[in-house]
Amino acid sequence: MTLIATRPDPGDARPYTFPDLQRVTVAGGTVIGAHLPGQALASAMLLLDAGAAREADGREGTATVLAKSLEEGTEKRDSAAYALALESLGAELAPGVDWDTFRAGVSAPVPQLLDAVRLAAEAVRTPRLDVADVTRVRDDEVTALRMDWAQPGPRADAALRADLFGAAERFGRPMHGDPTSVAAVTVDDVLAFHRAWLRRPGVLLVAGDLSTLDLKALGEAAFAGTSGEPLAVEPPLGVPLRDERRILLVDRPGSVQSTLRIGHRSPERATPDYVSMTLAATVLGGAFTSRLNHLIREVKGYSYGIRGSYAMSRRFGRFEVAAGVQTAVTAPAIVDTIGEIARTQETGVTEDELAVARSWRAGQLSVEMQTPGSIVGALSTLVVHGLPDDYYTTLRSQYLETSLAEVSDAAARHLHPHALTLVVEGDAAVIRDELVAAKIGEVVDAEI
Amino acid sequence: MTGYPWPIETTRLDNGLRVVVSEDRTAPVVCVNLWYDVGSRHEPTGQTGFAHLFEHLMFEGSQHVAKTEHMRLVQGNGGSLNATTNPDRTNYFETMPAEHLELALWLEADRMGGLVPALTQETLDNQREVVKNERRQRYENVPYGDAWLRLLALLYPEGHPYHHATIGSMEDLNAASLDTFKAFHQQYYAPNNAVLTVAGDASPAEVFALAEKYFGLLEPVSSIPPAPHGHLPGPATQPVRETVTAAVPAPRIYLSHRTHPFGTAGYDAITVLAAVLGNGRGSRLYQRLADGSRIAQPDYIGSYGVDLAHAPAPLIITATAKDGVPVETLEEGLTEVIGSLVTEPVTEEELSRAKALLTTAWWRQVSTVGGRADTLSRYTTQFGDPGAAAYRLPQWLAVTADDVTDAAKYALKPESRVTLTYLPENGDNA
Repeated sequence: MTLIATRPDPGDARPYTFPDLQRVTVAGGTVIGAHLPGQALASAMLLLDAGAAREADGREGTATVLAKSLEEGTEKRDSAAYALALESLGAELAPGVDWDTFRAGVSAPVPQLLDAVRLAAEAVRTPRLDVADVTRVRDDEVTALRMDWAQPGPRADAALRADLFGAAERFGRPMHGDPTSVAAVTVDDVLAFHRAWLRRPGVLLVAGDLSTLDLKALGEAAFAGTSGEPLAVEPPLGVPLRDERRILLVDRPGSVQSTLRIGHRSPERATPDYVSMTLAATVLGGAFTSRLNHLIREVKGYSYGIRGSYAMSRRFGRFEVAAGVQTAVTAPAIVDTIGEIARTQETGVTEDELAVARSWRAGQLSVEMQTPGSIVGALSTLVVHGLPDDYYTTLRSQYLETSLAEVSDAAARHLHPHALTLVVEGDAAVIRDELVAAKIGEVVDAEI
Repeated sequence: MTGYPWPIETTRLDNGLRVVVSEDRTAPVVCVNLWYDVGSRHEPTGQTGFAHLFEHLMFEGSQHVAKTEHMRLVQGNGGSLNATTNPDRTNYFETMPAEHLELALWLEADRMGGLVPALTQETLDNQREVVKNERRQRYENVPYGDAWLRLLALLYPEGHPYHHATIGSMEDLNAASLDTFKAFHQQYYAPNNAVLTVAGDASPAEVFALAEKYFGLLEPVSSIPPAPHGHLPGPATQPVRETVTAAVPAPRIYLSHRTHPFGTAGYDAITVLAAVLGNGRGSRLYQRLADGSRIAQPDYIGSYGVDLAHAPAPLIITATAKDGVPVETLEEGLTEVIGSLVTEPVTEEELSRAKALLTTAWWRQVSTVGGRADTLSRYTTQFGDPGAAAYRLPQWLAVTADDVTDAAKYALKPESRVTLTYLPENGDNA
């Protein structure tokens, strides 16, 4: 016998720790630093309460155009000089927008981080925003969105979002806008968004070796010349559900796969059910051995992979299953997917499945949080959702201790197999009749 | 200076398995990484895609690990795992909470030494369908998705080990037989054809003892056939051009050259050249074509080398036309900027910008135990010495402006260029 037949037992676990946090209040803003000794790189992120939710109706994408205009020159230097200054530090600016925040992140070798943050702040606080430049960036963004929308996925995402949240509502329209709304963005929209939201201090998140990083100096660089009080958080939107399932068909002629986006609304991030919902979704569609991936990929071979999860922001959430399946098996793949969602909702999860979900989620808190970039991301979750400094330690215990009954109960209450919107982006001429015949729900052509 | 400030300890088991350990107690996590010296370059005609399909089979159970149990045991103990196949090699890796190191080694040993008894026709048929869906999802159903497949065939002559793409052809995948895969495993998945690296929260003594316990009794394979020879006399001497009309949203050009193998001084110069030319907003391509003449879309312009070690590796330069810009204008612009690397020497500012970005990229790559373990496995497999990883960053930093010019003169000649152009089906630029 050349192989050892017996699976080894685990060794002694070392205690979980999240990096030590330090807070500094300076120049009207707050710096939160996480100590990561020995890392050559450090990361910083300026986090502003200026998410896509603050955009005007019909001008969705304003914040994204602003984000992409920041490096077109500042009050101090033109775009070429700015790029050279920043990149010579080994840093690149990563400005971005989500529903709740506007973020500008930089990573650099530790000794260069302060200069990189100074340059990031220069772009965020004092961009040149020349009329011709903003107009060109806006036009480029329209083109970039058209490029993106030529891929499978974005049109299906937009159709699902519109159906769940209402095409007339901001949250029912794509986070970064669509080619039409971005084309309507004016230079004045961009300037007004900057004036209203990017001159407030916000929060600076820093992860790196704090023995050599000066949080006060970093904060002074990030908050210089800013003013304004923190903004009030608006209340959650609730969880309205459809009366019955429906299929929205997005035509993609000649497509060799059908792209599925299947979902319904769910509670916002602050829900007390966050942990039990996350564990239920991990069993259903999160882990590789999840019910959905096991059946659709490993047993049936319909797909390269299928995932299901809850995504939650400050004011709303949604449950979503995403997959690409071979065109010929579109209807059976959907039927099987609904079957697993319904089974999980009706009968809950098993102790064996839950054991995997618990350990995986808990272990990921150390395995996937090794770098300054990932720690800065974790800090942003604390800030956006008002969570305490010891949150990740608590979360880890909660993952390990939540009972089977709680998780099955969360599945029962937060999965709605009869209220699903099923978006199918594929070759309509090939799959339409089959979808109608499967009697999953009314088949409607999406207006995308 | 060094690019690898962590300790490295190595040993070699009697069966030829090389074991590398890099201890770092900062976080309670450990990565187990294996490189098998087999990739799509080893595949004979008619068996394209087999090395990669085989990688999938390695997750489907082995002698003491039931089907689906591998994934369940790794994730169910908090770990992250994956594997990849490229022309050069196949790698497998899992990062685990440190107390599960022994489990990871047991799992890897069981599939190195005991895959064949667990391999069934049902598993092969299922994973063949999964891989065909992977091909659809990544290459066939996305605009420009087949560019890499086309470039390889244009860059490397028929019969060259890099001529065909790792994902393989649907025809070959359909023809794959169970016996072929059993033979494939017996041929290549041998301890003397692999490197095991453990990085993170574990000591060398502990890892060496566990490696001996779990891998020590596996039999070496006496004659592992080498891949077909990758030797090429130098850059191509005839330009090659292919134009594809397809469902793409805008005209796009890929220009590519064979350069030097990864790991050589020549390729270090190419790496710096690629950063000067096309990495970041301060690069020549961005400054001149996106920001300057504004003929290229700013989100889709750049250049990069593909780090292959067994033959001259490709440099790829790409740009996508802005609305209303004729593709000919874009190609002229690209050609001019590439030519400028010879006619307008790289300035000290450009050079230090490129090196600063490469420095950050290097430290990012080794910022996780997973990145470190994979780097050490690479240098052990390809250069026989994990310690050589420490030299890459200093070697990039030692590249001079003249080196970049020389690299451009040697590798980027118009007569050695592959030009792959995509045009939208409807004939306009929309």
